[in-house]
Amino acid sequence: MDKRIVAFCCENSALRAAQNVEDPAVLEAVELVRLPCTGKVEIGLLLQCLERGHPGVLVLGCPVDNCKFLRGSSRARKRVDMTRKILKEAGLDEERVRMDFLSSLDAHKFQRIVAEMRARLAAGRPKDAEEAPAEEAAKGGRR
Amino acid sequence: MITAVQKPFGEIYSMVQGVPRLLVLGCGTCVTVCMAGGEKEAGILASALRLANREKGVSMEVETDTIERQCDREFFDPVREKVEKADAVLSMACGVGVQFCSEVFAGKRVLPALNTRFYGTTEQQGVWAERCAGCGNCVLDRFGGVCPVARCSKSLLNGPCGGSQNGMCEVDPKNLQCGWQLIYDRLKLLGLLHLLEENQPARDWSTGRDGGPGKIVREDMVLDS
Amino acid sequence: MKAESNLEKVLAAGHFAVTAELGPPKSAEVEVIAAKAGYLKGKVDAVNITDNQTAIVRMSSIAAGVLARQAGVEPVIQITCRDRNRIAIQSDVLGAYALGVRNILCLTGDHQSFGNHRGAKNVFDLDSIQLIDALKGMRDGKIFLCGEEIRNSKTSPVVEPKIFIGAAANPFGDPFEFRVIRLAKKIKAGADFIQTQCIYDMERFEEWMRQVRERGLHKQVKILAGLTPLKSVGMAKYMRDSVAGLSVPDYYIRRLEGVKDKAAEGIKICVEQIKRLREIEGVAGIHLMAIEWEKMVPQIVEEAGLLPRPVLN
Repeated sequence: MDKRIVAFCCENSALRAAQNVEDPAVLEAVELVRLPCTGKVEIGLLLQCLERGHPGVLVLGCPVDNCKFLRGSSRARKRVDMTRKILKEAGLDEERVRMDFLSSLDAHKFQRIVAEMRARLAAGRPKDAEEAPAEEAAKGGRR
Repeated sequence: MITAVQKPFGEIYSMVQGVPRLLVLGCGTCVTVCMAGGEKEAGILASALRLANREKGVSMEVETDTIERQCDREFFDPVREKVEKADAVLSMACGVGVQFCSEVFAGKRVLPALNTRFYGTTEQQGVWAERCAGCGNCVLDRFGGVCPVARCSKSLLNGPCGGSQNGMCEVDPKNLQCGWQLIYDRLKLLGLLHLLEENQPARDWSTGRDGGPGKIVREDMVLDS
Repeated sequence: MKAESNLEKVLAAGHFAVTAELGPPKSAEVEVIAAKAGYLKGKVDAVNITDNQTAIVRMSSIAAGVLARQAGVEPVIQITCRDRNRIAIQSDVLGAYALGVRNILCLTGDHQSFGNHRGAKNVFDLDSIQLIDALKGMRDGKIFLCGEEIRNSKTSPVVEPKIFIGAAANPFGDPFEFRVIRLAKKIKAGADFIQTQCIYDMERFEEWMRQVRERGLHKQVKILAGLTPLKSVGMAKYMRDSVAGLSVPDYYIRRLEGVKDKAAEGIKICVEQIKRLREIEGVAGIHLMAIEWEKMVPQIVEEAGLLPRPVLN
């Protein structure tokens, strides 16, 4: 089974947006993980995803000033920034881990975020050969 | 607690090159509190090392574990086997732990992942600041509980110097508080300002680091004699 | 008389004393010292020789001081606590005295982070008050800090350094209420004369002097008010914004901005300041720190009516 992009989704926003996405290619490209809040993510968890071979990790949730748990989103952002810094120091493409903010109604934004991540991953092609065919297949399936 | 910060990743990465099996050993006491070398940090560093190795095509087994602390012999027992299997240990303890680990496992290379900084306190989550210099002759009674040796950039005992402005130290006027302003304010609060009118004589520094590496012996507690 | 230095004699005789400052070269170029001393000879009573000021390496104060003495000016050697421990300091004091030095100013010293060798280990074995106390112990107690007599052997004579001891004072540092108490501590430790940081804020200085007089300190020690002539608007702003422990009122900056020849105006301001300082009870003299502008000192002291300098035996 080819590894997909992991998308940690806040159930109050991103997950609902994801559920309204119609494009099957987008849905096939990501593995959704439901969270009560993006504040649940930890640096170690994000790194583990990459260690396990996932090409990219998205952390998607409510805007920082609109987090149901008040500070969860802003804490997640700091942790994602730290993770990206660690990736850079380790010689990896920091764009493999990203955080973005959207509302529950924003299925289009969800689609766009995933598309951008896929394009970026294709451009900065990872060394593991197994991931390349999955990318090609996914791109082909979009039309 | 003893505070420390992680060395830059690049420096750690060079240090561990050529080690086929590495054990990243975290410490559960001081460096956990200052978020530099605890279980979480050990896990993150090990992950980063594995990712970097994969990226560069370097073959290295990276194991992780964390013990209560690395400055007391008995806490190493649970990881004895892992240490023995490893070719080197990347210790995430303070300088004391790194050295002690080295002593306990004589013949095993132990590398420091951290730069040990100072004896300090958690001012707020994520912020630690120096408080004590380990001078070996505590004079906090004379200065209202604020240490002139550790908190004055010049360790003056008859401060402040002319570089104290708006309560800040000339070394870093934006961020560093003048230790002597703190002493003055505290003694004023305690109604003990008159203590500062006395001239403190030249200090005997030999009780601290200047006297050479220290040792403490409690004869009543030593077992074998 | 404690040291019989020219500065001591001038102050003891009740004259309004004038000292200046000379920064040693950042090399072994001895001609620099002779040139600077040349401007000052006969125009001032003594000249301070700075000690690695702002932690930038320069020729040592004692060496430059001896050279300045050869060039005809009386040196005031400066010793900071930053670079030397008590062993080196006491050793240097013996050496300085042996080479004819009779005035020593005791300073804490700028932190090494200011200078060109930031990674240096800082010493601060003593602070300025302990340093004053050490010199007094050597001179009057005829002992080293450890308590031993200053004699080469049990049968040799005691030959102690007879030094006129100086200290610095900063009327503008914080906490303001504590500054006069610290001055009292320095006097208690043994300071004979004081040189203050350069003054621009006259009101604040007058207030400090009032507190000094209230405690009778002006009678226990000779206070020389520090002055630095302003060369330009840029310099005035720099002093105001970047030098710790200095207060430069905007009034001076506006004055300089309002004229064409800023340097001349700067000298004019300095002369006015001297005249005002002479009126303040308890001010025994001035300390002119014309940094890299030593050649203007003769003009300043002349216009301030301070020439000729007294010649005493």
